[in-house]
Amino acid sequence: MKRGLINLLGGIGMMAIAVVLFAFVAPQDQKVGAAWKIPAEYKTMKNPQKATPDLLNVGKMAYAKSCKSCHGGAGLGDGAKASSMKTKINSFKDAKFQAQTDGEIYFQSFIGRDDMPNFEKKIPELEDRWAIVNYIRTLK
Amino acid sequence: MKKNTLFITLLLLISTFAFAQEDSTGVKVKDKPVRSPFESGYLIDAQTTVIPNAHTLEFVIQHKFGSVENGHSDLWGIYAAGSNIRLGLNYVPVKNFQIGLGMTKKNMAVDANAKWTIFEQTRKNTRPIAVALFGNVAFDGRNETAFESGMVRIASDKLPVHFRFNDRVSYFSELIIGRKFNDWLSLQAGLSFTHYNAIGVVYDHDKVGVHFNGRLKVSPQGSIIFNYDNPLKIKKISEQLEWTNHPKPNVSFGYEISTSTHAFQIYVSATNSILPQDNMMWNQNDFFAGKYAIGFNITRLWGF
Repeated sequence: MKRGLINLLGGIGMMAIAVVLFAFVAPQDQKVGAAWKIPAEYKTMKNPQKATPDLLNVGKMAYAKSCKSCHGGAGLGDGAKASSMKTKINSFKDAKFQAQTDGEIYFQSFIGRDDMPNFEKKIPELEDRWAIVNYIRTLK
Repeated sequence: MKKNTLFITLLLLISTFAFAQEDSTGVKVKDKPVRSPFESGYLIDAQTTVIPNAHTLEFVIQHKFGSVENGHSDLWGIYAAGSNIRLGLNYVPVKNFQIGLGMTKKNMAVDANAKWTIFEQTRKNTRPIAVALFGNVAFDGRNETAFESGMVRIASDKLPVHFRFNDRVSYFSELIIGRKFNDWLSLQAGLSFTHYNAIGVVYDHDKVGVHFNGRLKVSPQGSIIFNYDNPLKIKKISEQLEWTNHPKPNVSFGYEISTSTHAFQIYVSATNSILPQDNMMWNQNDFFAGKYAIGFNITRLWGF
């Protein structure tokens, strides 16, 4: 009985220590991302793919697999993993975001930086990447 | 029968190369492979024609709980004995060719496998199907005493002989043909050959099987999946007079959720084995008699 009590208190003690330690590693507050430095070639890059219904469907499927967990189903930046990021995720509905060129959105989406990883290997086909850019355009 | 099996396999291979790759004017058509006919190289207990991109490392966790037949008393098999797990690592050194290693709890097995997607289905139907070959060699890692006290019998010998390393080895090879019919339906059929170097006297060394499986996509990330493996009763390759221990078909179905780097499948399956040769040789569970277990697969990809 005494041993069981000691084990129980030991377990509770370990959990308390873990909670305190996690408090130091878990993000306390998300920072606002600095302005993107996008190379000129991407700013003027033309989107070679038209937003046909078929390609928008491809973009929707690929968005669900690769982007939704952080950016959310509607692109509001409220996906399941969004709160664990160090940087606040902005909404795709934001007029400032949608005012960018397709090439700028391409650079941010697939070249990436910091919390936003590079997706070139995960989405190797150019057509699929542009399909995602076209789908993101529909989320405004 | 072995000759017949080989002939059918070769015929299927040759016929798949015969699909036209030129249009009616004789101009070569540049056609790309279809997107994601399946979300992973695994489909419950089966392999798909899908191989991740070149230079991708895949970690696989395949787990089956015990049988659900005791109901709530062991929480539908979750607390039951007889669970099984396989941990596997696969790597894709070149496009459409994958090698892998795995460890399975049942029989303390270690397996090495390879998969080659000979060609993929294309978007403009210049190749209407995908064809893949999968091969697996497994080593039973149990102590010698697990094999009839260190003695085994060979069909040609009257007396038991001493156990040798080769007696631990079993093989599975499969030809897989798949087609993505549309964005929500993909189906596969397969023909397999299983061989155990050493086996109990009431069993057969060889089994030929047919396989049928597929997925029904119900959302961008979710699919209903199913698999059916049927070991065939072929008298010519059987060493038995009666079909007393013929393995039962493995029926399974479940649900799959996928992301760009993960596939998660939860399912119910008749067999408690995980290695395909074990599924084809040992399954005595009848799915429709309520003998099945809950299981899950998790795959994780890293690109290099």
